Amino acid sequence: MNEAKPEQNDSESSPVLETNERRGFLGSAAAITAAALGGLLGVGPLAIGLYATVMDPLRKKKPPLKNTGGTGVAGAKEGFYFVAQIGEIDSHVPRRFTIVADKIDAWNFMKNQPIGSVYMRMQGEQVECFHTTCPHAGCAVSYELESQSYLCPCHNSSFKVDGSKLEGGGSSNPSPRGLDALEVDVQGTSVFVKYEDYFTGRHDKIAK
Amino acid sequence: MFRKLYNWFDSRTGVQASLEEALYENIPGGAKWRYVSGSMLVFAFMTQMITGLFLWMHYSPGSQNAWASVYYITFEMEGGNLLRGIHHVMAQAMVCLLPIHLLQVVIEKAYTKPREFNWWLGLVLMKITLALGLTGYLLPWDQKGYWATKVATELAALPPLIGGLTQKIIVGGADYGHFTLTRFFALHAGVLPGLLIGFLVLHLAMFRKHGITAHSSPHRPDQLFWPMQVLKDGIACALLFAVVVFAAIAEPVELGPPAEPTEAFGAARPEWYFLFLFQMLKYFDGSLGFNTELVGAIVLPGVLFGFMFAMPLIARKKFGHHLNVTVIVVIISAAAYLTWEAKQEDNYHLNHPDDVQSEAYKKSKRFHDEVGRSEKEFELIQQLVQDYGIPLEGPAVLQQRDPLTMGLRLFRRQCASCHAYSHDEYAIAGPPNPAAASDSPLNYGAPDLAHFGSVKWIEGLLSNDADNGIRSESYFGKTLHIEGEMAEHVYETMWAAAETDADRQALATQIEQVAWALSAEAQLPYIDYAANQEKIDAGIAHLNDDTFGCIGCHNYGDNEDGYVINLNGYASADWLTKMISDPTQTGFYDGGSENDRMPSFHSEATKLLTPREIELLVRFLREDRTLLED
Repeated sequence: MNEAKPEQNDSESSPVLETNERRGFLGSAAAITAAALGGLLGVGPLAIGLYATVMDPLRKKKPPLKNTGGTGVAGAKEGFYFVAQIGEIDSHVPRRFTIVADKIDAWNFMKNQPIGSVYMRMQGEQVECFHTTCPHAGCAVSYELESQSYLCPCHNSSFKVDGSKLEGGGSSNPSPRGLDALEVDVQGTSVFVKYEDYFTGRHDKIAK
Repeated sequence: MFRKLYNWFDSRTGVQASLEEALYENIPGGAKWRYVSGSMLVFAFMTQMITGLFLWMHYSPGSQNAWASVYYITFEMEGGNLLRGIHHVMAQAMVCLLPIHLLQVVIEKAYTKPREFNWWLGLVLMKITLALGLTGYLLPWDQKGYWATKVATELAALPPLIGGLTQKIIVGGADYGHFTLTRFFALHAGVLPGLLIGFLVLHLAMFRKHGITAHSSPHRPDQLFWPMQVLKDGIACALLFAVVVFAAIAEPVELGPPAEPTEAFGAARPEWYFLFLFQMLKYFDGSLGFNTELVGAIVLPGVLFGFMFAMPLIARKKFGHHLNVTVIVVIISAAAYLTWEAKQEDNYHLNHPDDVQSEAYKKSKRFHDEVGRSEKEFELIQQLVQDYGIPLEGPAVLQQRDPLTMGLRLFRRQCASCHAYSHDEYAIAGPPNPAAASDSPLNYGAPDLAHFGSVKWIEGLLSNDADNGIRSESYFGKTLHIEGEMAEHVYETMWAAAETDADRQALATQIEQVAWALSAEAQLPYIDYAANQEKIDAGIAHLNDDTFGCIGCHNYGDNEDGYVINLNGYASADWLTKMISDPTQTGFYDGGSENDRMPSFHSEATKLLTPREIELLVRFLREDRTLLED
């Protein structure tokens, strides 16, 4: 094998092809086994890595045993978070409230972290609550006093104060649905909200 | 249809020609099993690349996150343990395959003309592989990796002039920290694999240029690489992978407790394949009168490597090849011997259980104790992580708030030179030689503090039992108090008065009740006092009636005539804090006249422990594992 290599531009002229073993590429049992083994070997480590990488985000992270309930407001139902005292909510102008709760981030457990925010306003006796995430592409909307509407800073989505889509406001409105209303539970003067995230860009409101 | 598509594809890519070029390599004398070692190394490296890439997706360098992310991969991620296990075992397999491949090349004379460059490339590949092993060892940032790697980087500072600078560049500053990890990680996952791929391509290209070092034989016809050699390589690699996966499952990869720069790790050892270098250093002890460590750590390995580098040139001389083979065999044998010797030293006490007094026995015993202690610390931190999660500040902060982890450390450092702690789960040996002659300076040994303040402990203190009573080594046996008033009182007054078995039985019952009453002062979290209120009440009555004559010396309840060891709040957190801080204060060994060598750990004059450390120790002694607040 010390002779010079043939030129590569003509695939049919390699001298070694003329040797006695030249057969169909997958011509023998040995060849088939070899090819299968080769393929399998490449897949082995890849499969294990992919499995771990895919399975982990799907798994729900459990809070550690002795470290729950950091926010310490009693009476929360399953999935509900304390947001505010009822007196803090205005009946005209929606206000933005931050939800503070214990947070798990892979290996870290952190008490009393801001995990999201909502807009709330009193509608008579009822508390009206919207997720601040724009249903179009996930930017955060903010309430504008001047136009009395929610505006998204990204793609011009806009919503009325009751959360419904603002149509024909002089510009396009790409949001597929109105702002996502959140379930509210009032216990005494404490307001709890069932805070969850929804997929954006879809017509229907589907929890993540 | 398929044929047509393939032809279309091939005419544009030339894939057929490339495949043929790759696969139709002529093998003089035919495919052989012994040609598989190179392919196995390539396969091992490929496995490391793939598993490494997936580990990278979950690893976070930095001194707060590194251990935490590896902990997560190893114990919380589904399939993570296997993933890391394969990476861990395959790395070792690679290091095992290297000398095999190298020996083959030497024996087959494949390093000589015209293959000098391929030999040199192979040596570079070996160095890179070993560097990958070294850098990977640190990344989990556990005690083992931290202290073992520290030795390696300290050695890097040995060469005169450039040493200090080299060390700082590798470590990323004067101390180990974030940059040590980011640098090691970049080396391990970026620089070194990149270099390895580059040199591997050259190595393979050069190999293809010169072909296999074998000659055609009339008995065995030549074969092409495809399919028989590929099949053999494939089977060998599949076997390797199976063995590695099996090993990774059979012995799940471990993780030590998180790196703690102030908590020296007495069992620092490099990964086993560096053990021969570690062991060799012991021979360079400076007995020749100069800094021989430099010789052992850098010069000698450098010379040996230099020799290997020169081997193709040496082989040109007469008998050169024989010299090369001899030297390589000697090097490998010496490395094997040193590895074996290092293992023997670390296991000496297991192999020579009777040689208790020898230094070798003590050393290997200490090594194993440290390994055990490290495993225990890992169990503790694992429990903490499961209970509390890891705070942003990192796992070490969690440990520093845990009375059990810190109590064991502090007790070992500050208390164990006098006190033993013979707890079932967390035993700490007391003073080294309690059985020494009575005039020996080693003749000290204060009470065993395991379960201090419990009913059992107090019962023992009030007992005249030779093995577990007040004059036994578990209590005042090795202190001046053995002849003190308390011991005398227990022997001569309390127990001497009980003459019949019935008397002794009655006394034991009363002592149990008093022990309950005193232990109730402690309110230890692991004792159910409410269920034993009757005994406690009876005990309180005995104390107030002075049945045993306690309150002649001790304060208890309304009685304030005592001058030593206040029994109010006995063994409570407050009481223990005062006792440890300054045992000579009022209510304890008043003025110090009754105190037998117990130091003040935090007083006007001494600051051996901080208040926080004392609080941790107090909770530890009370077996109260409530975490300290930040």
